[in-house]
Amino acid sequence: MKLKFIGFFTLCLLFSCNRDEQKDNTITFWSSNASQEILFTAYFADKWNENHSEKLESQPIPEGQSSEEVIMAAVVGRTTPDIYANMWQGLVEMYAKSGVLVPLDTIEGFTDFIRARSGEAVVKEITSADGHIYQIPWKINPFMTIYNEKKIAQLGLNTVPTTYSAYLKAGKDFSKDTDGDGYVDKWIGDTEVKNIWHQRLNNFYPLYLAASNGAPLIKDNKAVFNNEYAVGVFNFLQTIYREGYFAKESNTVGSDKFLAGHTATKWTGAWDVSYLERYKEDDFEYNIAHLPVPDDHRGVVYTYADPKNIVLFNTCKNPALAWEFIKTMIDESGDLKFLELSGQIPRRQQIKENEVFQEFLRENPKIIPFIDQSNFVYGTDNCEVLIEVLDIISQEYESCVIHNKKTPAKAIADATRAVDILLGNF
Amino acid sequence: MHVRPKKKRSIIPYLLVSPYLLFFLVFVAFPVLFSFFLTFHKWNIISPMEYSGMDNYTRMFNDRLFWKSLRNTLWFLVIHIPLQIIFALGLAVFLNSKIKFKGLFRSVFFLPVIVSGVVVTIMWQQLYGFNGGVINQLLNSIGLGRVGWLTNPAMSMPSIAIMATWKNVGLYIILFLVGLQAVPEHYYEAAEIDGASSWQKLWYITIPAINPTIFMVIILSTIGGFSLFIEPYVMTGGGPLNSSLSSVLYIYKQAFEFYHMGYAATLGFAFAFIILIIIVIQKKYIEKKY
Repeated sequence: MKLKFIGFFTLCLLFSCNRDEQKDNTITFWSSNASQEILFTAYFADKWNENHSEKLESQPIPEGQSSEEVIMAAVVGRTTPDIYANMWQGLVEMYAKSGVLVPLDTIEGFTDFIRARSGEAVVKEITSADGHIYQIPWKINPFMTIYNEKKIAQLGLNTVPTTYSAYLKAGKDFSKDTDGDGYVDKWIGDTEVKNIWHQRLNNFYPLYLAASNGAPLIKDNKAVFNNEYAVGVFNFLQTIYREGYFAKESNTVGSDKFLAGHTATKWTGAWDVSYLERYKEDDFEYNIAHLPVPDDHRGVVYTYADPKNIVLFNTCKNPALAWEFIKTMIDESGDLKFLELSGQIPRRQQIKENEVFQEFLRENPKIIPFIDQSNFVYGTDNCEVLIEVLDIISQEYESCVIHNKKTPAKAIADATRAVDILLGNF
Repeated sequence: MHVRPKKKRSIIPYLLVSPYLLFFLVFVAFPVLFSFFLTFHKWNIISPMEYSGMDNYTRMFNDRLFWKSLRNTLWFLVIHIPLQIIFALGLAVFLNSKIKFKGLFRSVFFLPVIVSGVVVTIMWQQLYGFNGGVINQLLNSIGLGRVGWLTNPAMSMPSIAIMATWKNVGLYIILFLVGLQAVPEHYYEAAEIDGASSWQKLWYITIPAINPTIFMVIILSTIGGFSLFIEPYVMTGGGPLNSSLSSVLYIYKQAFEFYHMGYAATLGFAFAFIILIIIVIQKKYIEKKY
């Protein structure tokens, strides 16, 4: 603990020390430290620097316990970069309220560009409570079900079940003790059980959005998730764990259960395609479908977008110039390059219909279901205390879903009450 | 009349202590005072502080997780300290006897102390695995049922305490060895002449003689126990059902996940006060016992 405090304040000190080194006309850019994104940023930085006197310096975000912690340290030390790409959408509202982000809608042409690229619904989603826009919707990884085709075929099914009852039936048929030691060792799926707020973005939240057609958790500063959809998701997951269809163990223990064939499905984002392609055996065949939904669900199925966006910090001396650079990264050719390098989905509408992306899609058919799904995604609510909201839900999730200590209705009601108390405090 | 010459004040002593004094002021005194100041404020680091009076203290007394984390930490200490003393003292007595390869054994027992806490924790997480963990596989192979070492709320803290004991026992073996080697040999010779058994020598000579070492081990284990963080953070995240949520992990979550700096500082002061009370009690009842 002491080390963490010292580490955090050392980061603050370090960032404080190099402030004067920033050159007035240079734009500084921090990308995530994923190798593909470093390559992507370097490519566009080089292109920019060839044609502009105002240079762009790109670097991956400095090492730290988490990118959030590093950004926070930089904000405290007022040594933030001009541009940061990879900001989780759920954190933007807190920084916006603290006044450290540039309101981008004040830059001429910004909103029109974003509306044309991402659509009106996205513009609405990223607009903050004060009416300004502080983030550039950049990339998403829609949560879907990836399934092992051979394992599902063994159940006599052509595709993975996509309703609660069919999924539970498949769970009953698939999950079993194969070595006769008295314990289940094959499960229909697997998702993290730890009571950590961001883990609920990988299970509860995508399923809630799928069931509710993208309904919010928070609206007008009130908790609005005490509904049949949230209760239904808790009930569905509680049944899964109670009946032993998923392992009750953290998925950080042991090897990759999906690749090893111990599970038949996983709920994950588009990034997993490149991972699977890299590590799977040659005869491992997989496919992608939307998340399970209630049996009476009709129409399209939404999911969580897992959006990571670009922000400009108020230490940026020339926001208009920084925006000029960002536009080169997120126009059609930039988005194509991003797809090619990272396998993640740009938050752009009608990718599948756009001629620019056709060749890539022909060569990477596994990404197409994610592109289709990207038309039906939702990010996060613009709530300053979203992390605490998710933590409250996570507490109830663990109690109800994993340990069967409460009924789903009671757990959701308790979570709603706790969130309302929290929101009332602010 | 003899007049004593006025002593010339030298600046050198002040210069010599100034680096430490500066370090103390910047990294100890200022943070402590600033943290105390924070306990009366609401602050998320990036927004201006808001004065909140006694709100943080009121919240703390009504916070279910604060009391839970405190109970968990005390539960950890209740398991960990006796285990630590029994194993460390037992092994120290063993290593202090006339055995072969004494140096090798000492090195082996000390090895876990120098291994990174995170590495040890990840290794034990794999050992404790419910489905594929080595310990459960061993239990299975001898016909015993699997144990939810980290998945059963009743077992998570004892499992962490066992691991922490394994990690730290080498350090306390060294402390006990120092204590044991300071016990005069003629005490044992006299006891042998009187026909004392090994157990009687341990109970009536060794333990009273190394009482200050035992007290020091208890104090160090208590302070170490209250700073329990890496193990639950990496292995369980504080779960299941907050059964392994330690006091420091809870402070960390408040400070660096929710950015409640004022509340985290309040919790920090409360835990420091509780540690102080426990150590005073230990000093009063344990140190004077023998």
